[in-house]
Amino acid sequence: MSARTTARSDTGGRAKSALLTGALLLPISVWYLLLLVVPLVMVAIFSFGRRAPNGGYVADFTLDNYARALGTIDPFLTSLSMAIGGTIGTLLVGLPLAYFMATRAGRWKGLLLLLLIIPFWTSFLIRTYSWLILLGQGGLAGFLADLTGGEFRILGTWSAVMVGLVYGYLPLMVFPIYVTLERMDRTLIEASKDLGAGRWASFRQVTLPIALPGLVTGSLLVFIPMMGEYVIPQILGYGRVFLMGNALYLDFVEFRNWPAGSAKAVMLIVIMLVAITFYLWFLNRGRRTREVSML
Amino acid sequence: MNDIDRMLRTTPINRRSALGVLGLTGASAALAACAGGTSPAPSTEASAPASVAASTEPSAAASFEAESELLIYNWTDYISDKNLAEFKTRYGTDVTQDFFASNEEFITKVQAGGSGYDLGCPTAEYVQALIEAGIVQKLDHSRIPNLQYINPTFLNNAWDPNADYMIPKDYGTTGILYRTKLVPEPVTSWKDLYDLTIGKYSGKVVFVNSMGDVFPMPLKMLGYSVNDNDPAHLEEARKIFLDLAPHILALDSDTYDDKMTSGEALLVLGWTGPITDLKANPDTADTVYLVPTEGTIFWMDVWMMFADAPHPNASYAWLNFIHEPAIQAEETIANYYATANDEAKKLVPAEILNDPAVFPPDDVIASLEGSLDHSGVQQRADIWAEFASKIGG
Repeated sequence: MSARTTARSDTGGRAKSALLTGALLLPISVWYLLLLVVPLVMVAIFSFGRRAPNGGYVADFTLDNYARALGTIDPFLTSLSMAIGGTIGTLLVGLPLAYFMATRAGRWKGLLLLLLIIPFWTSFLIRTYSWLILLGQGGLAGFLADLTGGEFRILGTWSAVMVGLVYGYLPLMVFPIYVTLERMDRTLIEASKDLGAGRWASFRQVTLPIALPGLVTGSLLVFIPMMGEYVIPQILGYGRVFLMGNALYLDFVEFRNWPAGSAKAVMLIVIMLVAITFYLWFLNRGRRTREVSML
Repeated sequence: MNDIDRMLRTTPINRRSALGVLGLTGASAALAACAGGTSPAPSTEASAPASVAASTEPSAAASFEAESELLIYNWTDYISDKNLAEFKTRYGTDVTQDFFASNEEFITKVQAGGSGYDLGCPTAEYVQALIEAGIVQKLDHSRIPNLQYINPTFLNNAWDPNADYMIPKDYGTTGILYRTKLVPEPVTSWKDLYDLTIGKYSGKVVFVNSMGDVFPMPLKMLGYSVNDNDPAHLEEARKIFLDLAPHILALDSDTYDDKMTSGEALLVLGWTGPITDLKANPDTADTVYLVPTEGTIFWMDVWMMFADAPHPNASYAWLNFIHEPAIQAEETIANYYATANDEAKKLVPAEILNDPAVFPPDDVIASLEGSLDHSGVQQRADIWAEFASKIGG
């Protein structure tokens, strides 16, 4: 009898907890459904339609938009090289910074974290516009021009875009790496040194593998939005590089051709999905072979 | 894309005053209101100027009771504060405005209907689509007696021949801005701009980032109408575009005045909007605006009433009020854009009336063309995308 009551109360508890889980998951599920899944499905549907005579979308089934989208391979490649360059740049600045904060900053750690977050309290757009002043004729470019006695331009070039990208996305790279390094057991480094590894070998064989999940997360967090980046190249690069974002902007805003823009967007999403799946698969495989080789 | 769109909306993307930029004015206005402890509604009756307040209200509009609220979807900083206060004084109606930064944004927001606004203020060529979609209300001219003051040229335009759906707000031209001190060569035509761009001033020329405003340059250079969609003519225009592309510094509608100030841009294919500020700045006082001799387009911003306008009486009261000559003259003084209202023109100070950047001379007006919306012409779209992708080489 007592067993039966226990069992009953157990199922009751499980049902209650399932109900609670469901209730807790409801808001995020609705959010994802309405703001992610539904719009994506709409974009996919639009991509097969036609532009309405006055702009917008008319239902149809045509592959014309995809045929045209294939012609936008150049902006796609430009976006790709910009995103790869930006990710590498962010990584080169972000990794040492995260390493320093996690292992060497001591009591300054909190302050450094705060300093990294503070810019986020200001509008992204204002921060980007302020780079116009810093890099412009009244700023660095003017200073370098005075120094060299020639004309010097930074704004409207790739360098300006890279500076803007690294600046804008840095925290997204630093925090995931910082979190992985923060939890690292320091005695592992001591052990590796005891076993005769030098600084570089310790870093490569101990620190780096531990930081790898953070590096991967950070790189993806930075790389994916950079593929669709439009504002920074437009403001700091003067729009002189024609990116996927520019192509999408023209379709949706200037030409009001939603189906054409949707097809390009779908193509971008599919390529990114495939590429990132492959990237993650490749990393996992690499890690497994390494573990095997270590054994 | 939504985030970007939202960000872009807060940028000074328009030919109007650059003050709305970055929401700074909005924020500071809100701060000022808090600090002063006053209501943010600009209902101070004393601020209405005597000349404005002296006008009498036509009796035709009096038979309808204006509602206490009027919702306008407008460009930033585009109505005189004095006139808003005067309207509140006369009708007891509070005007609430939402702002858009581009016609595309306007269309996107209202084209589905149910926007909830009474009046909209887009550029004329964009209203046709809305008329066809049944979004715009046909106007009862008997309730807007002040239409009598408007020059017939602007009422009988290509976009809406009988002014059934829209009445002029103000108009202006797309032309050339340049720094006379830094560009000693004479600039009078599109051809001059073309020669200087591919020649001496390569890399120092900015075009506004708007297909409809840039296409007139090659088309007019070739002697065609701005509304010409003959494939062979567009192909000729494409060649001119491709000649120009490597020599253009940027396509930029938002900050070309900054680029002129810093000396990065010496010639701009653009709008008259920033000219007042540029002239007021001692560093750029040498900036002039001109309408090229081959002719160009004029744009006209219009008042239109939404089919489902919740406050129709207040809307009619506003449409009639705003074209009262003294009120309309105050709009011109505040906004620095040409009015189509002949009676109001008589009340505008001579310095504005004689400024070719505001009121084109009569012989120039004859060369102006209204531009229809060609964004759906695939060949134009392809040419523009190709041009945009080759800027700077």
